[in-house]
Amino acid sequence: MGQIVGAFTASHSPGITGFPERAEPAQREAVEGAFGEVRRRIEELAPDAVVAVSVEHFTNFFLGNLPAFAIGTAGSYLGPVTKEMGEFLGVEQHDYPGDAVLGAHLYRFALESDFDPALVEGGLAFDENFCVPLKHLDPGSALPLVPVIVNGVNPPWPTARRCYDFGRMIRAAVEAQDDARRVVVLGTGGLSHWVGMPEAGSVNEEFDRDFLDRLESGDPARLTDYTQEQIDAAGNGAHEIRTWLVTAGAAGVPFDTLVYEPVPAWLTGTALAAARI
Amino acid sequence: MIAVYDLQKLLWDVRKDLDLANRFRSEPDAVLDEYGIDGEERAAMKALDFKTLYERGANPYLLYFCALQIGVDRAEYYAKLRGEVS
Repeated sequence: MGQIVGAFTASHSPGITGFPERAEPAQREAVEGAFGEVRRRIEELAPDAVVAVSVEHFTNFFLGNLPAFAIGTAGSYLGPVTKEMGEFLGVEQHDYPGDAVLGAHLYRFALESDFDPALVEGGLAFDENFCVPLKHLDPGSALPLVPVIVNGVNPPWPTARRCYDFGRMIRAAVEAQDDARRVVVLGTGGLSHWVGMPEAGSVNEEFDRDFLDRLESGDPARLTDYTQEQIDAAGNGAHEIRTWLVTAGAAGVPFDTLVYEPVPAWLTGTALAAARI
Repeated sequence: MIAVYDLQKLLWDVRKDLDLANRFRSEPDAVLDEYGIDGEERAAMKALDFKTLYERGANPYLLYFCALQIGVDRAEYYAKLRGEVS
């Protein structure tokens, strides 16, 4: 049976790859060092596939049809969505491989587990959600991906509990198939930040450190004890912590924080963490 | 809260379509007519009054991305959003 052999979480601020030089040198070094550490760990794990969990920023979906959760079952994904975004992110536009078999399995398994994600068989393009972290973690774009999109950009949002449980479902789905025996889960987004709002450039370090403390505890009750308003206190971008909650649910164990840096120049509380698997 | 769907649709379409963005800059009334945007939202879009659009319920991601696409730079967007310049 398949198993989740690793689970990692990372911020995906465009600054990480698009304008890294604006951060304090020590902060940049710490963050890039943590990305390097996760890349080495993933290489050692030699996964057959990566379930990549993130939001998307109105790159594909809009308010005419906005899924709370969506699962990609395509064989490839374009990213970044435009050449202009590629220049902004410092990522050359290219195709990322998709694991269509695992994607289709995950979608079907989700439905049979009483989840109702949107089905995305093709046409899903990436923005900073995956392009930024994968530039560091899989620079050759060799790893087959199953993208999972969580709404983190427009209220109302799926609850913290629902996100965590969605992750638990992912673990059960991985264990219920044999095609991809070694699977890594990668969640990207957050931590505190404000996009397009008057507070942009602020970081809510207290919120971020408290969230990481909960993640390190591995306690589902603490991880899911968030109201929408509590997350609002760390900005509209903080709602992306749902991707970390999905990953935490998939891992089912405590995490180690590999780095945390409040980086106003990148507009985010920037962190990476790894599950103790 | 007024229905802001039509406004947000314009913001999203501009973000995805540079030709539309350019047309909005050159003939805003024609584009605003096509999207059926009236009243305060129309005046605010023409004036690039992001503060009012934000306060009327436009999603800040959509607002910010639209601003960038029509050539407003980041610093100017936030200055307008915060009401520091009009």
